[in-house]
Amino acid sequence: MKTNTLLLGLALLLAACADDNSKLRTYDNNDLELAVGNAAKMTCTCRFVMEMDEAYCKDWVRASPNVARFNIDLEKKVVDASAFISWTARAHYVDDLHGCVLE
Amino acid sequence: MNRIVIGTIVLLASLAQAQQCRARASWPTEKWPEALVNATAKAAEIKALEDYAFTIVGKPEERKGYRTNGLVVVKNGAIVYEKYARGWDENKRHLSWSVAKSVSSTLVGVAVNQGLMTLDESLCKQLPEYQSDPVVCGITVKNIITFGSGLQWQEEYEDAGYQVSSVLAMLLGSGHKDQIKHVLTHRKLHEPGTQFVYSTGDAHVVGTLAKRALTAKHGANAFWTQLFEPIGMKRVVFDEDPAGNPLGGSYVYATPRDFAKLGYLMLNDGCWNDQRLLPVGWVQQATAVSDTFRANRGDCSNATPAGEYKLPCEDTPNGYMWWLNRPPAAGVDKPWKDAPDDTYAALGHWGQRIIVIPSEDLVIMRTGDDREGSIPVNDLVKFVLPVVKP
Repeated sequence: MKTNTLLLGLALLLAACADDNSKLRTYDNNDLELAVGNAAKMTCTCRFVMEMDEAYCKDWVRASPNVARFNIDLEKKVVDASAFISWTARAHYVDDLHGCVLE
Repeated sequence: MNRIVIGTIVLLASLAQAQQCRARASWPTEKWPEALVNATAKAAEIKALEDYAFTIVGKPEERKGYRTNGLVVVKNGAIVYEKYARGWDENKRHLSWSVAKSVSSTLVGVAVNQGLMTLDESLCKQLPEYQSDPVVCGITVKNIITFGSGLQWQEEYEDAGYQVSSVLAMLLGSGHKDQIKHVLTHRKLHEPGTQFVYSTGDAHVVGTLAKRALTAKHGANAFWTQLFEPIGMKRVVFDEDPAGNPLGGSYVYATPRDFAKLGYLMLNDGCWNDQRLLPVGWVQQATAVSDTFRANRGDCSNATPAGEYKLPCEDTPNGYMWWLNRPPAAGVDKPWKDAPDDTYAALGHWGQRIIVIPSEDLVIMRTGDDREGSIPVNDLVKFVLPVVKP
């Protein structure tokens, strides 16, 4: 009886380990957080590193779902992106070597 | 005795030969020489290439087809073909996406050449803040430069569920402020060097290792002073995260002409203008199928571990973050059937490509915005070769 219980316990443990190894890791990735982060970073990159015009950049950055809006401060080289008021992100141009950083 | 002396002389002579750099009439550090193909004689071949690579399909907003922004072809050390489209020109820097991985690997080569790091050292040598972490310290530079860190990683992009993407979490989500910490706090899933798992996280770490090694000796701008400027890549941008880690898996920008110079450095065995920037044998190792890649190709049923980037047996082999035209397993064809066997490439999302073909003395650099699926290397080579053939 003891042996059977031990074997059963061992089998359950091995099954749990196998399951753990094949399990996908999930992240606390909120879709809107990713959308505004992408819009801020990529718009900043497009305008200030690749030096493309705003119309090109608007299309280049467009993602699905296309919910992010952005504002470009050409003087400060800062891009603010937002979605549904409460989701925001900012990227700024650092310098000619290091491009844009998502804050 | 005589045999030992002669043997030593032969050995020394062959070593000296190996260390010698290939002689070139000139080097394109300041500017690429131009020897454009005869547009009249090659009209049909050029038309076929441009119909393939530059034809717009559907409305621009539909983002269909292969949307080439720039194409530069270098043959025998000179630009023989060049074309831009969609608002791009030779002076505009383009995002390279995962071509950055090959740039990062090359920067490690520069550091190794200067004796600032070795492939066999632990990650903890350059990242002492992880000294107490046995998982991180158990990984070598060679493990990680061959995508074999063994850390769990799910390389998913915009087409997959955002909640399972390690890379989106790193670049844009909870991990974006310190992206190296995000990578290195993933759990160990395999023994280092035993499973090839394509990972932008591994490449970010490779870039950071190069930065730590090179900046310790040469200062903050070491990437530029030790690699980009010596080969005339004048306007390279290399993004960093808020913690100052270079984003070596994704975010390097340069003009197509400058990216072609990286390919030309590799084509010339890591030499530039008689100066050796990469160690003797580095290019050969970087463009040979890595031990890590081979390790999980023996049993093809084991090549797609659950929850990881899917790499079937038919997929393209990799060296030190360069993709190779080699059969990935016994009995399987090489991936780019119309390209010479010695072709290798740096490949990035949305169709960024630096393709090097040593036997043709050829570098092809292509930038693009392919949202439906990236332009195949095989087809690009297939259309370029007739244009440049005498």
